[in-house]
Order: sequence, then structure tokens, then C-alpha cells
Amino acid sequence: MLFVAEINLAQLIDKYFNFKLALEFLPHLLSAARWAIIYTLVGESIGIIIGLVIALARISSFKLLSYPASIYVNLFRGTPLLVQLMFIYYALPYVGINLPPYLAGIIGLSLNSGAYVAEIFRAGILSIPKGQMEAARSLGMSYGQAMFYVIIPQAVRVVIPPLTNEFVALLKDSSLLYVIQVPEIAYRMRSLASASFNATSYTLAALIYLSLTIPLTYFASYMEKRLSRYKSHA
Amino acid sequence: MLKDMQFIIEIEDLRKRFGDNEVLKGVNLKVKPSEVVCIIGPSGSGKSTLLRCVNLLEKPSSGKIILEGIDLTQPGVDINKVRQKVGIVFQSYNLFPHLTVEQNLLLAPMRVQKRSREECLEKAEKLLRRMGLIEKMRAYPDQLSGGQQQRVAIARALMMDPDVMLFDEVTSALDPELVKEVLDAMKELAAGGMTMLVVTHEMGFAREVSDRVVFMDHGVIVEEGKPEEIFTAPKNRRTKEFLSRVLTA
Ligand SMILES: Nc1ncnc2c1ncn2[C@@H]1O[C@H](COP(=O)(O)OP(=O)(O)OP(=O)(O)O)[C@@H](O)[C@H]1O
Ligand SMILES: [Mg+2]
Repeated sequence: MLFVAEINLAQLIDKYFNFKLALEFLPHLLSAARWAIIYTLVGESIGIIIGLVIALARISSFKLLSYPASIYVNLFRGTPLLVQLMFIYYALPYVGINLPPYLAGIIGLSLNSGAYVAEIFRAGILSIPKGQMEAARSLGMSYGQAMFYVIIPQAVRVVIPPLTNEFVALLKDSSLLYVIQVPEIAYRMRSLASASFNATSYTLAALIYLSLTIPLTYFASYMEKRLSRYKSHA
Repeated sequence: MLKDMQFIIEIEDLRKRFGDNEVLKGVNLKVKPSEVVCIIGPSGSGKSTLLRCVNLLEKPSSGKIILEGIDLTQPGVDINKVRQKVGIVFQSYNLFPHLTVEQNLLLAPMRVQKRSREECLEKAEKLLRRMGLIEKMRAYPDQLSGGQQQRVAIARALMMDPDVMLFDEVTSALDPELVKEVLDAMKELAAGGMTMLVVTHEMGFAREVSDRVVFMDHGVIVEEGKPEEIFTAPKNRRTKEFLSRVLTA
């Protein structure tokens, strides 16, 4: 109690948000943020491709496709991203696979988001009424044609909000890339903090994350509202 | 050639089981080209399942379905080819909500039958004009009334030039004032010589339009005959009970 009382407000601000340091750190952290966004965008984009393939495999009636797909999903959703990244970067060298940090990071984020995106797509596809597939098939379309022209275009609208949320989650998770030496926000934050003996870089990093995630979260809930209106029409 | 065939559909001892629930227990039905057959019967008697078997949305457990001389239950039958010959219209319309009326009509003939856009468009315009929906060409399904949507669904099925049309309670989801426009479209189709299998609760339609009425109960055809016979002098007790229930309701 005594200890807390001795710290006054000015000192507190100086420790956690020193304005001069903040100005000095900002360009470094912003360029790190740019990298975080690039990693996340690339990871999410590859994740969307992986996710679509895995989702189609999971809902397939061929066990040869659906079993491996669900093993993949369970594996990557059942282990922490931290462990996945470390496995790719620190464990694969034991079998002679040495990846540079940026590649290990991209692969880790892509495989991880692929698993989550797969579940989002699967739920989206299953949310389309059964009658749509039947109507398409009854017109002579193959399963693939029905999926491609009828089911997936409708599912895409449904998955935009959860995909945005997944993007937000991945952006935050990209901070874990610091354990494999990728110079993103968290990595810069740590090095700036230890060089300055000051906590300002932590505060600033948190603010940068918030300035990215809050608008995206609002966008997701806005889209969700728009979609529910679209649905009540149909 | 179709006209020479004695029967366009021959269903022989058709059985369908879901788990250990036998829903169709040996259905026999023969349909001549251009014939309009109405199927009536209580809920759960297997009417929808019978229709869905004819275009293979359900796989029959045993028995034969012979369409234009080809047994659909044989392995190696091209399901997608069969379905182009047999159009089906559902109670819930099932239009594609992300596509306009025009796109709904053009999708399958262009992608499945690889017909040219011009040819399909011409056909679509002809059908929609006949249905009185030409000005809705660019509308989305959710901008149409139920009756309009159902007529678009009929037009969509006709785009494939089917030889047989199946209708499963297509007016049951409609507001009463919209039923007539859909039934009128079906009457016109019947008058044009289309072979039709119609599951319906519209006894007036069955009486007026059908060549034959089939009464189903508990997975079998209990009685069939000309509409005037079935409606005025049913022979079977279950038919009598069913009709007295629906006609007084
Ligand atoms: N996919 C399915 N799986 C299991 N049971 C089913 C399935 N489809 C239909 N059934 C069962 O088969 C029976 C007959 O159903 P069907 O839909 O053919 O009856 P129906 O005569 O069309 O009735 P309704 O007038 O209510 O439409 C019902 O008991 C139903 O529960
Ligand atoms: Mg039914």
C-alpha cells in the first residue's frame, strides 16, 4: 500500500506514456505494424484457400476426403499457435528443413487460419437451406456445379462477418511471431522497452493493435446486421 | 417418338425405406405421354417421396422406375441426364436468392446443356411472357410475391425442355389469393400436352385438370381412376374417409 501511494500521476505517465519516447517509438512500431498486417493478410489469404478446400473435403461423403480434413482441423485448432510456430521453426530443422523466419511465420499463420476458416466455411455452407442444393441438382447440375454456382456464392455472404473476426484474431495472434524472430509489433515493442527502461512501447503497441482491431470488429457487426436484414427478406 | 411410346413412366413395385421406416411399400404406376396424374392422400403417406424417387432425389430401395424405356434404378444411369428430362417444382419454390429471375432461368441450360446465351434468353423471354412476368426479368426473388416466385420456378424447370414435370404441393405455401395464378400456369402447361405428376391438396384442380387421380395412403396406391369416379363414387373406404375430410374442410 505504501509503495503504491508513493507513485504519483506524473511519474505514472512518464513510465507508461512518455510523450517524447512515444514520438520516437511511433515510426518503428508503425513499420512493425505494417509487417504484422502484411503477415496477417498473406496468412489469411492462403488460409482462405486452404479453408475452402478443407471445408469442401469435410462435408464430402467420401471418408477418404472428410477424415484427413477433420484431422487437419482438429490438429491445428487443438494446439496453440505458439507451439505450431515453434515446431515449424525450431523442430523441423531436426529433419533438415530449415526455414527462414518470414517463411516459417507465413506457413504457421496460413495453416493455423486455414483450420479456423475451414470451420467458418463449413458452417456457412451448411447454413444454406437444403432445398437450394436439391433445386440445383434437380436441374441436372452436378454436385460441383451446384456448389460453385449456387451454394458457395450464398455462403460467401454469410461468412464475411466471421471471416473478419477471424482476421482480427489472426492479427492479434501474429504477435506470437516474435518467438521466431519475425520483426512485428510485439518484437519491436520488447526491444524498444528493454533499450529504454520504460514501458511506453507496451502502451503504444496496445494502442496500435486497438486502432486496427476496433474498426474491423465494428465492420464485422455492421455486416452481420446487414446480412440478417437480407435473410429476413428471402 | 415420345408420342408413340405407350408409357412415358412405368413404376413397378417401388419401395423406399428410411432406416427401418418403409415409406413406399410397393407402388405401381404407369403414366402415358401427355397424361396429367394428380396424387392425393393424407400427410405422411409417401407422396413427396414418390415424386422425389422419380427424379432420383431419393434413391429407391427396390423396384423399378422406367422413364422413356430406361430403368433409372440400374447402375450406370446418368443421373444428371435423367434430371434434365424430369422437371420438379417444390412447395418452397427454392429459387436461387442471389440471382435475378433471368439468371435463375439461364444458369442450368447454359452450364449443363451448354446452350448459347441468345437461345436461352429467347426461350426465357417467351416463358416469362407467357407467365406474365416479363417485366420481372431483372428482379431478385425476394422482390417477388410467392405466386410470382412459384411461376418463375415453373419457368426455370421448363427451361430444360423436360418431357415430364413433377409438382409437389406447389400452392401449399401460398396466400389463398395467389393460388389461382399458379394453378392457371399449370393448367396451360397441361393443355399444351405436358406429362405431369401433381401432388396436390387442391381438389378443384385435380377434378378439373387431371386425367387420372391416384389416392395414396401408408405408402401404397389405394385407389385410382378418372377424377369423376374418384370424387363422386370412391370404392375404397379409406378414400371415402379422406375425401369427406378434405372436401368438407
Ligand atoms: N429424408 C427422410 N428421412 C427419414 N424419413 C423421411 C425422409 N423423408 C420423408 N420421410 C418420412 O417418410 C414419410 C412420408 O413422407 P412424405 O414426405 O413422402 O409424405 P407426404 O405424403 O408427402 O406428406 P405431406 O402431405 O405431409 O407432404 C413420413 O413419415 C416422413 O417422416
Ligand atoms: Mg409432401
